Amino acid sequence: MTTVPDVSSPAPAPIPATSSVGAWRDHRGSWIPTGGMISTRFMELRKRRGLMLALILVTIGIPAVFLLIRLLLHAFAPHSYGPAGGYDVFTGLVAGVLYVFGFIVAATLGCTAGSIDLTEGMFRHLVVTGRSRLALYLARIPAGLAIIVPLVAIGFTVVCAVCVFAAPTQLKYQGVNVPVNLSSAGLQSWAAEHPDEVLCNFNLNVGPNSSIAAVVNAAPCGNGPGGGQPVFKQAPGSQGQPQPSQAQIEHAAVLIARMNYADYARQFLYPSTSLMVKTGLWIELEAAVGFIVGLGLGSLLGQRTVAVILMIVLEVILTPILSRAHIAHMINLQRSVVGLAVAHLEPSGLGFVFGGGGGPGGGQGTARLVPETTTVAVCVIVAWLVGWTILGAWRMMTRDA
Amino acid sequence: MSITSLLGTSDRGAAQSQWAVEAHGLTKRFGDNVALNGVELRVPRGCAFGYLGPNGAGKTTLIRVLLGLTHADAGTMSLLGYHVPRHRAAALARVGAIVDEPRFHGHLTGRQNLQVLAAAREPAARDRIGPALERVGILQRADDRVTKYSMGMRQRLGVAACLLGDPQLLILDEPMNGLDPAGMHEMRDMIVSLVAEGRTVVLSSHLLDEVERTCDAVAIVDKGNIIRQGPISELLAGTSLVLQVECSEPDRARALLGATTIGGQVEVSPVGLGITLPTGTGRDVVAEINRVIVEGGISVYRLQVIQASLESWFLSVTSRLGAPE
Repeated sequence: MTTVPDVSSPAPAPIPATSSVGAWRDHRGSWIPTGGMISTRFMELRKRRGLMLALILVTIGIPAVFLLIRLLLHAFAPHSYGPAGGYDVFTGLVAGVLYVFGFIVAATLGCTAGSIDLTEGMFRHLVVTGRSRLALYLARIPAGLAIIVPLVAIGFTVVCAVCVFAAPTQLKYQGVNVPVNLSSAGLQSWAAEHPDEVLCNFNLNVGPNSSIAAVVNAAPCGNGPGGGQPVFKQAPGSQGQPQPSQAQIEHAAVLIARMNYADYARQFLYPSTSLMVKTGLWIELEAAVGFIVGLGLGSLLGQRTVAVILMIVLEVILTPILSRAHIAHMINLQRSVVGLAVAHLEPSGLGFVFGGGGGPGGGQGTARLVPETTTVAVCVIVAWLVGWTILGAWRMMTRDA
Repeated sequence: MSITSLLGTSDRGAAQSQWAVEAHGLTKRFGDNVALNGVELRVPRGCAFGYLGPNGAGKTTLIRVLLGLTHADAGTMSLLGYHVPRHRAAALARVGAIVDEPRFHGHLTGRQNLQVLAAAREPAARDRIGPALERVGILQRADDRVTKYSMGMRQRLGVAACLLGDPQLLILDEPMNGLDPAGMHEMRDMIVSLVAEGRTVVLSSHLLDEVERTCDAVAIVDKGNIIRQGPISELLAGTSLVLQVECSEPDRARALLGATTIGGQVEVSPVGLGITLPTGTGRDVVAEINRVIVEGGISVYRLQVIQASLESWFLSVTSRLGAPE
């Protein structure tokens, strides 16, 4: 037994500290997390095998398997199944799969990072180190983003690669296979060689009494019942008109091709580099929002399961409803939904985010959403990021450990 | 002013403080339940200090308040001379603690858990991971996942976590839980060695025997109050002395002692006499009793002075003994 000073009498001289003088002067009261804190937090999240497998499966596995199946089907039955990649597949996967799943995956990781120290009993160990609780919270943000951003990037890269390298070799314009990259003259020349397909399928915006309309009305479109005789596309009241000559038909086809050239020129076999870059950044923004909001919610609630469920409900149910329905008395509330704000930043050329897929020509993705300016959308996103970070950090700083 | 410079102003004053832990009027309520009721506690530096109390007495609550895990409703406190919570970061930089059962990330290894904790401390803490694991005896299992650890190994890992900061003060809440006898022996030796290095160890426990063997001073907490504190030897010195005498004729020996001026209460038992002497009885009285019996022609086979144990004293001063259910 060691000697103990009498508690009722003055104690002897203080025992020298075993720590070197000033060893604690490491700014541990500072709110700025150290690199070591971030890297160990990254390690702690990365070592969660089950969670990491789920994240990889959703962000990379689902699009990869979907595209692989399309590749195989096209390879074995090219006439029945179209190419695996292409512009339409890209917009469909991005707007319909990566956008929603990326958010959910990021939110799951955020909720885990925000609550797991508490539920696993490590929080009090960390608090006892004397490190600022705010720094402990903020260290999770770069650590989590260092996981979710590369995962989403890999999944997106897989989609981009397949959509570019397995894109169709022929453009299907208005249901007709048309060679790509034709000039206006080239398209007209092709139209002269394929007048029936042009007359029957291409858009026509002329008056009903024009000479082109008369030719189009008389043009043979498709096969009739029994597959024998061609069916003539005739406007009401046009029966009995004389059959146009082959020269008239070809001339009309050339004129229609000229009218459609501007629209034709906007059709893509595969997404452009610019679109892919913008889309990648947009998907990453969505994932970052999901992670940071999930982190704040997880910290606020102190448990993962409920927080994840709430985030899924927000993304899958509430956001699509509030983004589509135009409710006059709630329009400002609807505009404050972060999912709507992110959707408004969608690059032009993608499909409707909550409906999935892009139509030919794309660019109509946000047309059906509740209207919101870009400035308001950015403000809403920043408010959500800052607000949930403050809420999560506040709860962590005031919580009993 | 940066926080470092702010803390620096209190550094000299803290180093001159004679108390490792000091609390005045510390109060903590949970609704209507008063967990700490004006606690006055002083733990001298450089000793092993036992902190005892029945279940629900407020032991863990006091530790949690001292460490800033929960806030106090009233009172002041300091750790190593640093006022808490004003200089909490500076104080905790020199404190290591286990509170309740030690829990860690189960999917990480013991070493990785310590890496997480070391990263929150000063840079030098990372270099102490290996020595700390070695000191608590789990270096061989350091790279196993914590889910594979027994309760005792987690306790050891918890102590290793305490050592990462090279602490001047260790607060250990029930560190013997889950340890086998050999582990308890090692833990006891480690606590003694930590104190020998100049550190202060506050040991909260209900294992009174372990505390008596390990600690120099104790405080007894009951119903949120510190009811006694001081060196164990002094506390036990205030208890009565029992003298067991095995002899050939107990009844006659009792009569002989009754005729003398020696005080105390004498009872005859099948094996001899049990003599309860008042507090402060000296060794000369024991010798006088022996002389009276022997000179009376009675054979004395054995004579033993029984000092009250910490356990019996603890039970006598706390309210749990004989308390209605």
